[in-house]
Amino acid sequence: MERETASASPDRAVAPTLHLSMVVPGTLLDRAGEQLGRVDDLIVRLDDRGYPPISGLRVRLAERELFVPADHIAALEFGQVRLAGEHLHMRRFERRPGEVLLRKDVLDRQLINVDGARLVRANDIELAQVDGVWRVIGVDTTLKGALRRLLPRRFGARITTEQFLDWASVEPFVGHVPTLRLRVPHPKLATLHPAQIADLVEAASHSEGEEIIEAVGSDRELEADVFEELDPQHQVEFLHERSDAEAAQVLATMEPDDAADLLDDLDDERRQAVLELLPHVQRRKLRVLLGHDPATAGGLMSPDFLALSAETTVGAALDRVRAAQCPDEALGAVFALDGEGHLSGTASLPALLREPSEKRLVDVAQPVAAQLDVEADFEEVARVMADFNLMVAPVVDEAGRPVGVVTVDDVLEVMLPTGWRRRFGLLGSE
Amino acid sequence: MSVRVRADEHSAPQPRGRALRAGLGRLRQVLALRGRPRPRLRLLALLGFLGPGLIAANAGNDAGGIATYASDGARYGYGLLWVMIPITVSLVVVQEMAARMGAVTGKGLAELIREQFGVRWSAVASVAFLLTSIGICTSDFVGTGAALGLAGVPAQVSVPLAAIAIWALVVRGSYKVAERIFLAMTIPFLAYPVAAILAHPHWGEVARQSVAPSIHLSSTYILLFIATAGTTITPYMQLYLQSAVVERGIGPERLGAERAEVISGSLFANLIAAFIIIATGATLFLHGRHDVGTAADAARALKPFAGQYAELLFGIGLLGASLLAAAVLPVTGAYVIAEALGYEKGLSRDPREAPVFVGAITVIIAVSALVAMIPGIPVIGLLVGVQIVNGALLPIVLVFIWRLARNRELLGEHRNRRGFDLLAAGTVLWTSTLSLALLVITILQFA
Repeated sequence: MERETASASPDRAVAPTLHLSMVVPGTLLDRAGEQLGRVDDLIVRLDDRGYPPISGLRVRLAERELFVPADHIAALEFGQVRLAGEHLHMRRFERRPGEVLLRKDVLDRQLINVDGARLVRANDIELAQVDGVWRVIGVDTTLKGALRRLLPRRFGARITTEQFLDWASVEPFVGHVPTLRLRVPHPKLATLHPAQIADLVEAASHSEGEEIIEAVGSDRELEADVFEELDPQHQVEFLHERSDAEAAQVLATMEPDDAADLLDDLDDERRQAVLELLPHVQRRKLRVLLGHDPATAGGLMSPDFLALSAETTVGAALDRVRAAQCPDEALGAVFALDGEGHLSGTASLPALLREPSEKRLVDVAQPVAAQLDVEADFEEVARVMADFNLMVAPVVDEAGRPVGVVTVDDVLEVMLPTGWRRRFGLLGSE
Repeated sequence: MSVRVRADEHSAPQPRGRALRAGLGRLRQVLALRGRPRPRLRLLALLGFLGPGLIAANAGNDAGGIATYASDGARYGYGLLWVMIPITVSLVVVQEMAARMGAVTGKGLAELIREQFGVRWSAVASVAFLLTSIGICTSDFVGTGAALGLAGVPAQVSVPLAAIAIWALVVRGSYKVAERIFLAMTIPFLAYPVAAILAHPHWGEVARQSVAPSIHLSSTYILLFIATAGTTITPYMQLYLQSAVVERGIGPERLGAERAEVISGSLFANLIAAFIIIATGATLFLHGRHDVGTAADAARALKPFAGQYAELLFGIGLLGASLLAAAVLPVTGAYVIAEALGYEKGLSRDPREAPVFVGAITVIIAVSALVAMIPGIPVIGLLVGVQIVNGALLPIVLVFIWRLARNRELLGEHRNRRGFDLLAAGTVLWTSTLSLALLVITILQFA
């Protein structure tokens, strides 16, 4: 059921762990054991690497909310916190940047389990003394953790947890914490595959998804990759919250066919505005793609391909392949053109590699029975590609001039049964 | 080569129905070439607009609800028709809050309760809800059996078939498919307006009683009044609505459209309820048949007065209503469990991806269907039990909804504003009071 990492590894010298639910809310005691007030919550610094240290307590003393710094803590215990020191420096509690309240901001909320690339809920939080400092070492996501908090504390304490999720594989959402709204690093997310990040965004709520995207945003390349993997609904949603310039920036780094799909889902005004801001070459390609119905070969195709005169030699053609800017999958075949620019044949890359380099394209290319009309529907596209064993199929306009290519991955994506589309943690451990 | 994981069913075209899609796409293209700004096909846009709001509201008109409305009409004619007006307002207010929270936060109600009110309240609400959902689901399987029983099919045959069909739909299908079939299940409700027209009511009298009712101060009248309010606004409607809004992916930018959908869905559902009252009021009440036990009784009782078509129509309506509720309830129960405990959820997930969610659906359907197949199961007694738990649960859920919907931290600019907040508070107060009153009366009656 759960694929959590057990993490009570001996080498980390994890002292006896304490469950957050067993400490707060609790009694605040002074050095002599006199009751001072109530401990409401524990405060933790998040910007630290490794296990976040407890930086203080939020306590309630004579109807006032006060802050007790961590160095005053003598002991965290079952149902109580004992303080040390003669003079207590307490000041009014206020939120500071980089800090979260464990009970209010983390407990019961969603977290990212980076290890399995999935969302989990914090049923309890595990604390331990590491290097003499109390730290958060993990999160209990099991049912037992929830049950422990459900029962009266005396009985709940008997429920032990052998397994919890190590903090090393946890990224909390902090978008709801007022002082953290603007600064959310989430460094652990970068270890995930873009497809996994996209899955997380789709499974999370709007603001949580936005938080993930923002965290990824510092890496433009990764952001664009994640965008390509998102379903159109989420793509539109997130573009919605960006300026036209930002949207154009993201679109410019996407593959043209994906970008065209996305543009197609935007409303008219927005689409025009974003198109205007794209670099010239991209804009032209997208305009062509947008002219086609998405349910046809024209809508499916990518406008990048390599078409050469039929008189070109195989050697020259291979040089052009090496120099070509278009994506790998589109270079699976080179198209031969006759004098009028009509498609006269296709030569797959393996075929070119096998032929002597002085031969001309016209001699090695197969005649084109296997070409697609821009109006061809999916059935037609799939049938032609299956019948002719094509990885790449040329798409031609009414005059027989090539205007784009459909690659086998585009077809697979369309033909994939619904249930197969979504595999949470597709690339994760299974 | 990039790995693509797409969970979308909207624009990444599907193999199924692709000829139609291709055709529509081509039409769109032709229109686009004429320089028109991206045309939307009106009918499709309208159908696409229907969704969680209509389903949630109609799921409230389940077998138990129909029995209550039929009793209203049989006992007091159009005398309780006016109740539908304030109830509709209340329903709209409550449903709007749930839909708004779903759209703005992207979280289900059970999830928000867990996050804002802690694990204990969340457990109380979840356990109470699970009990009622199994109870209500059972009564709807009984309703399914009774509706098909009118056609001579024994419940021992119809109920397992219905259970398997519903299970397959909600577990194997995607959200989009399930939603479409849920929407199709609301079509049989249209049988009730037809039955009402066939019953030849005195429309002038109907109109007069709706605005200037003759209120009786008898205990039966008050009890029926409270029961009518209680059956129209039930916790699962809000829980389902909010989770479905989330799963459908409706964001704040589509809040306006979703609000319109919720309002029209609530209006539709309560108009249907009004037509049931009218149909029975024009026949059973006039002919002195004042006692109606179940929805199937009502259908049978109609036959001598309104002809066999009325029975058929009432039977069809009952079948659609029971099936819809019997499908929506397990789904809602599973949403609640998954949200409260933090498990993966969603109708588009398969059992391997969301084992708890699918498991919950399976258990609720299996238990309900099995109980419903017991011959001579005391439906009334069962409903009484459900009513007691529901009566206690509804005020809790409504107060949570109200407190969440006015929470600035949670909803920001979309929180309840002054005037609306007062209306919402009033609605929560009077609906909860009625609910608690019903609880007390039910306990006293059967103590």
